[in-house]
Amino acid sequence: MEIYVLVKQVPDPEAIVKVKSDLELEIENKYFTSFFDEIAVEAGLKLKEKFGGRVTVLTVDNRRVDALRRGISMGADDAVQIADAALEGSDQFAIARTLSAYLKDKPFDLILTGRQAMDDDAGIVGPAVAECLGIPHVHSIIGFEVDDQKREAKVIREVENGRETLTCPLPALLTCQKGLNKPRIPLVMNVMKAMKAQIKKIDLASLGLGQSDMSPYIKIEKYVPPPKRPPVKMIKEDFPENVRVLVKLLREEAKVI
Amino acid sequence: MALDFSFTEEHEFFRQTVRDAVNRLIMPRVKELDEKEEFPWDLWKEFAGLGYLGLRHKETYGGMETDTITQMIFYEELARGSCGFAMSAIMQVLMGTYFIARFGNEEIKQRILAPAIKGEKIGTICFTEDQSGSDLGGTRTLASKVEGGWRINGRKQWVTNGPIASFATIMATVDPKLGLKGLNFYLVEKKTENQDGFTVGQRLHKLGSRCSVTGELVLDNVFIPDENFLGEEIGKGVQYAGEILNEVRVMTGMNALAISKESMVDARQYANNRIAFGKPISTYQLIREKFAKYWAWYEASRTFLYRCAWMIQSNIPCTNECMLAKYHSTEMCMYAVEEAMRIYGGNAFCSEYPVQRFWRDAKFLLYGGGTHEVLCDYLGRIYCKD
Repeated sequence: MEIYVLVKQVPDPEAIVKVKSDLELEIENKYFTSFFDEIAVEAGLKLKEKFGGRVTVLTVDNRRVDALRRGISMGADDAVQIADAALEGSDQFAIARTLSAYLKDKPFDLILTGRQAMDDDAGIVGPAVAECLGIPHVHSIIGFEVDDQKREAKVIREVENGRETLTCPLPALLTCQKGLNKPRIPLVMNVMKAMKAQIKKIDLASLGLGQSDMSPYIKIEKYVPPPKRPPVKMIKEDFPENVRVLVKLLREEAKVI
Repeated sequence: MALDFSFTEEHEFFRQTVRDAVNRLIMPRVKELDEKEEFPWDLWKEFAGLGYLGLRHKETYGGMETDTITQMIFYEELARGSCGFAMSAIMQVLMGTYFIARFGNEEIKQRILAPAIKGEKIGTICFTEDQSGSDLGGTRTLASKVEGGWRINGRKQWVTNGPIASFATIMATVDPKLGLKGLNFYLVEKKTENQDGFTVGQRLHKLGSRCSVTGELVLDNVFIPDENFLGEEIGKGVQYAGEILNEVRVMTGMNALAISKESMVDARQYANNRIAFGKPISTYQLIREKFAKYWAWYEASRTFLYRCAWMIQSNIPCTNECMLAKYHSTEMCMYAVEEAMRIYGGNAFCSEYPVQRFWRDAKFLLYGGGTHEVLCDYLGRIYCKD
């Protein structure tokens, strides 16, 4: 099977993120591979182990290739970075157009990616790539089996109050949800391989795209930091008066009861 | 541009990978590992399966032959999890297998080193005795030459991995009167044919680093063949030991960095949330000073340690630098864990919070690679000569 996995390097949840200006964030230099994308890589590797073939990890990122190295260290065969100055300021739809421009001529059976990136939580790129390529897509899967003979995938996804089982023809794009698998911890031998791996770098011109194809549908209007935590209020009265005061505050100030 | 303090992209990636493995395999179990005080065989097998035990060794035996900086990153990240587990793993990666890789014949390397890299055999090194430790010249374990090999007699103490080791590199003397000039390394294997007499003595219950099992090994007229003599020349044991002492000291410093950081990050969170007199205690100057001092010493230690790692990697003589860095970083760590305990106040005194574990684990670092009393005596003497 020829499998492509779309991956993204995102800020570590522990990284300090500050609003630098209306349109700019200052993010501490702590990044990791989006967890849902790791699940997608694992799913691809399991299919490869079963059916043979190749797994290629693919990212659109001008600066960071660690998500690709992570994919190789887990066992992916190949890694491709699409980078171009024109991608600065692009939105998820432009990213999807870029990815599909790369993928459209490739003989893939399956494209996998995380259900959403862990930074913007948008969940747009996966479905948008499927739309651009004109292939079926199933979002947020927690189980799947591929029938290579029938060229179809049987897919399970969580829906409200239950699960839904679907089948879809291949090639298809599936976005992966937590619960699908447990991503493997890379062997150090593969980590070394990943550290030395030459990452293929592709620009927009070689995909037949230019600055005009990158105009965003979504524009950031303004970043606003979350409100600061209000100061702690100490209740000085003794029992049982302190309980009365607490109830009054919860009802009238916090308005939670 | 002669000075460059940055890690390569590859080093950063390696750190992130080890960190992730530690977060997933070790972090969820640190409390349990400390409380059980048992060697975690399941964790060992899982961890060894990832291949980290071969970081220093040749690919022929299943190793990776990584550079010194990479190894030091590994030591730092591993100790961030469980100090005890780190001690066992590092013993296997570094001291427990170094002399076998350096002097063992091909058959020994295939029989012992290759399985050790896979984690199937556990190794250790034995220096300390009841009357010798930093004072290696006081070693009394005796190696007597006999037909076809050697007979070893003595008792070794404070042996990390000792009670579970399947092989040990033993420092022994051919004649106690020769002091440092009589010392050599010998490979002793457990439960092999014709080697009765190699047994485990008392197991120690330690203050910290509790999941690495430590104890006494007894050598009662143990016979080993000639090829188990680990060296090229008799009486060069101390010189050979010197080959890895720099690495051992910087490695200990890396452990100190990790423990200090874990304790102070934890204490910072506590100080930001603990309210006293209506305000978080991190808003009080005496508390802030503790963090400021720690931060300054931590940054200095980290820079110094990685400089030493770079010197080792570049084959630049750095014995004194490595001693100084080990001393500085471990004392920095003692400050950090002590102050973290104070920041926690009375809560530090119960096992619900991890701060007491950091304090207990850190104490273990005071002894490996030379006690600070011995290091300072030596360093002071060298300094005053100039």
